[in-house]
Amino acid sequence: MPISREYKVGVFVIGTAATILLALLFLAAQKGFFQTSHTYTLSCRTGDGLAVGMPVVFSGFDIGRVHSLELDDKGAVLIKIRVPDKHAKWIRQDSFFVLYRPLIGAARIVVNTDHLESPPLAEDKIAEVYVVNDINDAIEKIQPLLETIERLSRRIDSMAAKTDEQVFGREGTLPQLNKILKDAAGKLEKLETTVDNLNKISKDAAEGTQDLGALRADIDEVAQTLNKVSRDIDALLYKQKKPEIKLP
Amino acid sequence: MRKTLLTFTLIFICACATTTTQVPEWKETAFRDIENYKKSFLTGKQNAADVQFNRAREAIASGNNLNLLAKLYLTKYALQRAALEDFNDGEFLRINRLHPVSANLAYYNFLMGSVNAKDANFLPDQYAGLIKPLRNKDAAKGLEELLAIDDPLSRLIACGVWVKHAPYDDYILKLGVNTAAEQGWKKPLWAYLNALQKYYFQTGETAKANEAKEWLELLKR
Repeated sequence: MPISREYKVGVFVIGTAATILLALLFLAAQKGFFQTSHTYTLSCRTGDGLAVGMPVVFSGFDIGRVHSLELDDKGAVLIKIRVPDKHAKWIRQDSFFVLYRPLIGAARIVVNTDHLESPPLAEDKIAEVYVVNDINDAIEKIQPLLETIERLSRRIDSMAAKTDEQVFGREGTLPQLNKILKDAAGKLEKLETTVDNLNKISKDAAEGTQDLGALRADIDEVAQTLNKVSRDIDALLYKQKKPEIKLP
Repeated sequence: MRKTLLTFTLIFICACATTTTQVPEWKETAFRDIENYKKSFLTGKQNAADVQFNRAREAIASGNNLNLLAKLYLTKYALQRAALEDFNDGEFLRINRLHPVSANLAYYNFLMGSVNAKDANFLPDQYAGLIKPLRNKDAAKGLEELLAIDDPLSRLIACGVWVKHAPYDDYILKLGVNTAAEQGWKKPLWAYLNALQKYYFQTGETAKANEAKEWLELLKR
């Protein structure tokens, strides 16, 4: 007996609807829609740099998000973070939380857990968040360096007239400056890795990457310049000592 | 702010430029990196040491200088000897086949503990006295000659060569310990303390062996 057209259409419509529904369910499950999660409350003295949706990171992996922010009675900021059950094991009683604001790139909350065997953090307990602020630190560190270079460049002529000991001696100006510059070059080199990482993250945002590329070139150039300065000073200081490569 | 920084550094470079000596940049970089590499390796900062070694290698390679490249590898082997480690000499032998240099080969032979009379002329001066006792395997005379080496790194390398290729006693090992400790070179220090412990263990002085072991454990803690 032939199957009626109405019947065929019915089967087709129902089949399609079921497939779409299954696909949606699958996507939702993949996105963690049905996943239950733990909510932990953290407190921080300032909400500066905090945002809803900010990632919570453990060993470099995203394990959760900031769910909500609110002020408590004493004016401290309460941060509620939501961590899926499968990642809750990383958060323990003696975990400590750091709000990390890198010089470049998005801020994040970093979880550090030393003892994974210690009991899990209770959800009603409020843990403190420490703030690490690269931006301010960097400015603070560069400021004295700038001042030193400024002072030095103003006095460079008078320096030449002074005794060698004062300038070139162990405690003299140049060795100290040399150290500072090497320091600065090292810090800038460290910065490069940050930019590299950030480049990776923001690959999709084409415009942002371009900006970062330019910034990177800038940093490269400054690092190179500083390296050259330190090399020049090295040469100046050890001009008797020729860079001769000998077997030890 | 970056611009200010650049301006002042540039002013400073200009001020310095008049007094700098003219050494090719790659050579200077290589020299500096080798010096830093030695320090990092001996103080146990292996990651930094690897980076510095590779940078020195690159700098020398860009100067197309196989002689210095061989010296760089020999320096690496010598440091490993100083830390009582074995080394893989493949790279040096490859370079040596293509561009043999007597001084390098002599130094290599010295590290391998097989010095002949011809090599002795090409070795750095500080090792000259050590050749004869090393060949005769005379530990007492050897210790004397080791003590006479002024440069601590050379002394440590010589100690390493001796321990590897000649019969040694605890005085030579203790000389290694003291030399490394004076300079704060963690890597060879631990290696020598380890060797000292093994030595006492083999000679049946268990109490001393345990003492050396505990000593090392306390340092490592």
